[in-house]
Amino acid sequence: MTTPEPSTTARLSAPVRFVLGLGVLVGFSAAGQALVTVTGLPLPGSVVGLALLWAALGLKIVRLHWIADAADGLLGILGLLFVPATVGFIGYLSAGAEWGLWLLVMTAGLLLGGGVAGVLASRLARPEPPPTEA
Amino acid sequence: MAWIALTLIAFALGVVLQARVRSPLANPTLVATLIVAAVLLVGGIPHADYLKEVQPLTALLAPAIVALAVPMYRLRALLARQWRSLVIGGLSGTLVGVGADVLFSRVLGLGDEARRSLLTAPATSPVALQLAQFTGAPPALAATLAVLSGLVGALILPGFLTLIGVRHPLARGLAIGAVSHGVGTARAREEGEATGAASSIGMGLAALLVTLVVAGVGRG
Repeated sequence: MTTPEPSTTARLSAPVRFVLGLGVLVGFSAAGQALVTVTGLPLPGSVVGLALLWAALGLKIVRLHWIADAADGLLGILGLLFVPATVGFIGYLSAGAEWGLWLLVMTAGLLLGGGVAGVLASRLARPEPPPTEA
Repeated sequence: MAWIALTLIAFALGVVLQARVRSPLANPTLVATLIVAAVLLVGGIPHADYLKEVQPLTALLAPAIVALAVPMYRLRALLARQWRSLVIGGLSGTLVGVGADVLFSRVLGLGDEARRSLLTAPATSPVALQLAQFTGAPPALAATLAVLSGLVGALILPGFLTLIGVRHPLARGLAIGAVSHGVGTARAREEGEATGAASSIGMGLAALLVTLVVAGVGRG
């Protein structure tokens, strides 16, 4: 990978910076997928790609300003990208009344698991000035 | 192309609705899902045909998940200070979630396919899909229940966490990500960057833990 001068990349127009960022993100997603395929790990390639990108940012191999616009853009519509998958429930409408039980079990798991995670994490959180959201 | 247009416009409608109605049910993903599902059902269109058409949209999901590294990197100092609470909270929550799914589907006498599919529901749907070969779940059902678990979690968890007094942004995000992965993380980001970053960590830990649990069960 060529490493452009930060001064040059910082002066790119917003659309070009978006394209550069999208390219880097897709590249890391492909790298994550390739790593999963080679190693046979039963993990999603995108989550492995996330870890790789986090490491690359930490090691300054990738600069934050290359990808910030594209990342913020994609994350702003993250909920949209799940719609094709969530619509998949129509394939199981024939299960009918069973859905009530599935949702009941799922809800119990969510409340218990989420509740334990939330309570434990807030108890174990080290005291510090509460992180501001600004 | 018409299906992409419908999906985009339905989601935008959901966002507009959310801005007007202060209800958790005005979730853009839920609104878009219901609109698209209704049109597909009325038109008698199979989900597979729809999926093929909206492939360009789905192709953006993987880079969007990768993009979650950006808020995590921006907040690295905060996350590094709180890693103990995040790791212990996230792993315990996911484990309790999986345990509850297993226990309650036994107690309620659910069918074999649903029981196996619910086992991986706290993990993001690509993980559920890949683990289906180990759990013996029908892959499509495992993926569907996983993604719906995210949706239901996005709807009920924020209110529930407030109810039980969990106010810390990191703890709230972590709890949402630990059991409702990607869709939950999209919702958690609405509360702020720290909540969203903690949710991505919860999602990653859940993917790892559910994989390990299933691999362990599969070997045994």
